[in-house]
Amino acid sequence: MSTEAHISHPSTRQYVQIAVILAVLTAIEVGLFYLDASLDLNGWDAPMLVTLSTIKFVMVVGWFMHLRFEKGLLSKFFGAGFALAMGLYLILLAALGVLAIRG
Amino acid sequence: MTALHDAAPVHHDEHESTGIANTKLGMWIFLSSEFLFFGALISNYLIYGNRAFEGTVPREVYDIPFTSVSSFVLLMSSLTMVLAHHALSVGDQNGTKTWLLATALLGAVFLGGQVFEFTEFITIQDMTLTTNPAASAFFVLTGFHGVHVAIGVLMLLSLFGISRRQGGLSEKQGMNLELVGLYWHFVDIIWIVIFTLVYLLSAV
Amino acid sequence: MTATSTERPATTIFKRPSSHTGIGSWLTTVDHKRIGILYGYSAFFFFIIGGIEALLLRIQLSAPNNEFITAAEYNALFTTHGLTMIFLFVMPVTAAFMNYLLPLMIGARDVAFPRMNALSYWIWLAGAIFTYSVIFFADVAPPLGVEGFPGNLDPSDQTFLGGLPDGGWFLYQPNAGPYFSPGSAIDFGALGLQILGLSSLISSVNFLTTIFNMRAKGMRLLRMPVFVWMTMVVGFLLLFSLPIIAVALFMVTFDRSFGSTFFQAVSGGDPILWQHLFWLFGHPEVYILILPSMGIVSEVLPVFSKKPLFGYAAVVFAGAGIAFLGFGVWAHHMFASGITPVAQAAFGLSTMTIAIPTGIKIFNWVFTMWGGRIRFTTPMLFAIGFVSMFVIGGLSGVTHSVVPSDWQQTDTYYIVAHFHYVLFGGAIFGIFAGLYYWFPKFTGRMMNDKIGKVHFWVQFVGFNLTFAPMHWLGLQGMVRRTWKYAPDNNFGPWNVAVTIGAFTIALAILIFIFNFMYSKRKGAPSGLDPWDARTIEWTIPNPTPEYNFGVAPVVHTLDHFWHMKYTEDAEGRAVRRPDADEVIARLEHEGNNPPTPIHLPNPSYFPLIMASGLPLIGYGIIYHLSAAGKAMIAIGAIITISGLLGWGMEPLEEPHAPQDHEDDHKLEEAHS
Repeated sequence: MSTEAHISHPSTRQYVQIAVILAVLTAIEVGLFYLDASLDLNGWDAPMLVTLSTIKFVMVVGWFMHLRFEKGLLSKFFGAGFALAMGLYLILLAALGVLAIRG
Repeated sequence: MTALHDAAPVHHDEHESTGIANTKLGMWIFLSSEFLFFGALISNYLIYGNRAFEGTVPREVYDIPFTSVSSFVLLMSSLTMVLAHHALSVGDQNGTKTWLLATALLGAVFLGGQVFEFTEFITIQDMTLTTNPAASAFFVLTGFHGVHVAIGVLMLLSLFGISRRQGGLSEKQGMNLELVGLYWHFVDIIWIVIFTLVYLLSAV
Repeated sequence: MTATSTERPATTIFKRPSSHTGIGSWLTTVDHKRIGILYGYSAFFFFIIGGIEALLLRIQLSAPNNEFITAAEYNALFTTHGLTMIFLFVMPVTAAFMNYLLPLMIGARDVAFPRMNALSYWIWLAGAIFTYSVIFFADVAPPLGVEGFPGNLDPSDQTFLGGLPDGGWFLYQPNAGPYFSPGSAIDFGALGLQILGLSSLISSVNFLTTIFNMRAKGMRLLRMPVFVWMTMVVGFLLLFSLPIIAVALFMVTFDRSFGSTFFQAVSGGDPILWQHLFWLFGHPEVYILILPSMGIVSEVLPVFSKKPLFGYAAVVFAGAGIAFLGFGVWAHHMFASGITPVAQAAFGLSTMTIAIPTGIKIFNWVFTMWGGRIRFTTPMLFAIGFVSMFVIGGLSGVTHSVVPSDWQQTDTYYIVAHFHYVLFGGAIFGIFAGLYYWFPKFTGRMMNDKIGKVHFWVQFVGFNLTFAPMHWLGLQGMVRRTWKYAPDNNFGPWNVAVTIGAFTIALAILIFIFNFMYSKRKGAPSGLDPWDARTIEWTIPNPTPEYNFGVAPVVHTLDHFWHMKYTEDAEGRAVRRPDADEVIARLEHEGNNPPTPIHLPNPSYFPLIMASGLPLIGYGIIYHLSAAGKAMIAIGAIITISGLLGWGMEPLEEPHAPQDHEDDHKLEEAHS
């Protein structure tokens, strides 16, 4: 089991590719920011930016932290912390009336 | 238990039920709690980002090009970190050393950027921790992230130092490298979230 | 027979500690059992302190318009009573049980990170001493770092007791902010909690890793004793709730010491945010206090009913369910603070749902006893006391979920009655049940049962005399946290009863202390299995050998030890196996004479060194404007970091004698 997992670990080349994708996504994010500043995207920038950063987040966790290649238990721990934090703080923001995303 | 085992000394941590090393499992458990820590700080900022009776608020003075560059630096430090880990896993001790040092340097560059940003806000923009709740939330959030980066840099430098002194890292120290790597990437993903939610989405 | 004591540890910076007796061995121990005992004694010390504080409060309230203590002292005492009982008694005493029992119950020789375990104890002790050290600093107010907050120190805050933290255990803002509480008392409270929280966070990572990774062969998750399950659930609660209070306390410290404006309404800050963050932690915290006792009771009831726990899986999942739901109910502490009607309805409903898993547990405990051959020993009495008192506290809790009813009850003695029924009638009765039950495990002797029963009944009567009348006092309108009441409210008679009850509890505790001292020296030797127990911590000699298990256990079922001794007849009744006594004799022999050498982690100075730097950093932060404060921060940081470095360079286990390693290699060759 574990040896198979080791074989499927990415190579140096793949790590660099992932980093390039991450860099491009960051560039798109910054680009979106200026695009929104010059021609108003009617609040569409927020979901797009959140999506892009989510993709970056998942790529770093999955590949750089090797979570994709680890036993499921670790994903459960990590996912539990993340989901609980999201849930609790979204409720908190809702209760304080600040959930509306700034556009 | 066969008769062969009779003479073999046993240790307190003979086996790991899940097949994951204790230290690694512990690190992931710890990181899962860090979500709640940074979640609270980010929520603070989202609540307070516009809250000011007087003075400058952070969103008015963000230098997006500058922060984009330092975000890029931190992102690339994740690449060098994973390359250090990868080099060690294929037995390339020199590569490990190089990439460790590169990661620490990139982290230091990020920290330098943060010091520059804070200094600029405080001296030129006249926005300090005490100006208003928005500024308080900004400084405490990014400050705690910076403290995490600084701790990471120290751990990377000590690994680098050990590796230089011994001419390489042992198997156990390799596990330490993996743990530091997990911590480092985690600090990076927190910055990915901060960069988007706190900088890009709130700047004017 | 142990191989551990014969080896000479190598040196790092200092010579590695190697003694197994004397004070030095306790200061450097990494043995989970010794750390558990340290936790137990220190927690009990603070139980006495917190109890004396409660008695002072009760003397003050025993008559209308009494002036036994000043208002400032009253505020300080009720605050410190709460902080002490929660953070310095119930949490560490449950940590004592977890430390001692968790590895034994899952068949391990220690926790996953033995030195981190010692670290968490020393950090806890450092935090406790730090918090109470405020009494020496009452006259040394910190230089105000906050311009524009010209708060004045009330001279009565500077008496011996009045200098203790006085903002309520919840440190509500802005009352506990720089303007209204300008002295150093709140700073000590906030930073003390920060240090204590760090200790608990380290423990939670350690215990969770231990439970997931250190189980004996065959010890599947659903074969673990319920106490282990509750330890796991509490671990998750700590893991996920402590970071929230850490952030909130940092915000308070920044507001008070560095002039940030998080909770300063005058600058646009929001004091209600403090309440949210505090209760986001605070509500899980009450389950952190009660769940370990639920675990203890789930161990005790089956043993003394001679029946398996009714609905084991239901009890386990109900415990997890309580914890999960417990994260989503925090705002029911804030119904009177002006949150929106939608939030009130939502949090009222979510609060009611907690009654479901709690009810499941109660019924399972009752059904466990139903039809059992019950032995009314002292631990059993305390366990039954737990179940019955907890039901009362639980039911009064459900009345808080009804928002209009809660508005009536908020900040009255009804609330005080409620949470003492769950935390004293619940948690503390459970803790005593555990103490009487596992006393033979800790000492090899039985606690005196006759004195124990007297203790139970005095405590039971005293408890109800103290806290039951608070229900009616509260509904009559007697307000919490108030120094005096007027004679014309007619609160006097019941308050006299409450005060008599409080002293009755004190008498019960004195009886307990006598019983403990007496039984520790003169108690009857317990043998291996004094209670006819069910779980594997009883398969090893009492008191526990240093290496725990002479032979690593292999577990085949839930209640493994029971099944080694009992089988079922055709009608499903438990019948003792004919060879049960031989099995126990064999276990006793194996436990005392391990067939293989066992290497245990070596003692270490570094946990103690690391922990001792933290209070210095705390003092430094409070007095950071002075040169002495800055120096304190630097010295504390240097001590802690050098402790960490020494730790990093020191192996957990010292290299063993060479012949061992040769044996290792030979064996490996023989195997491959």
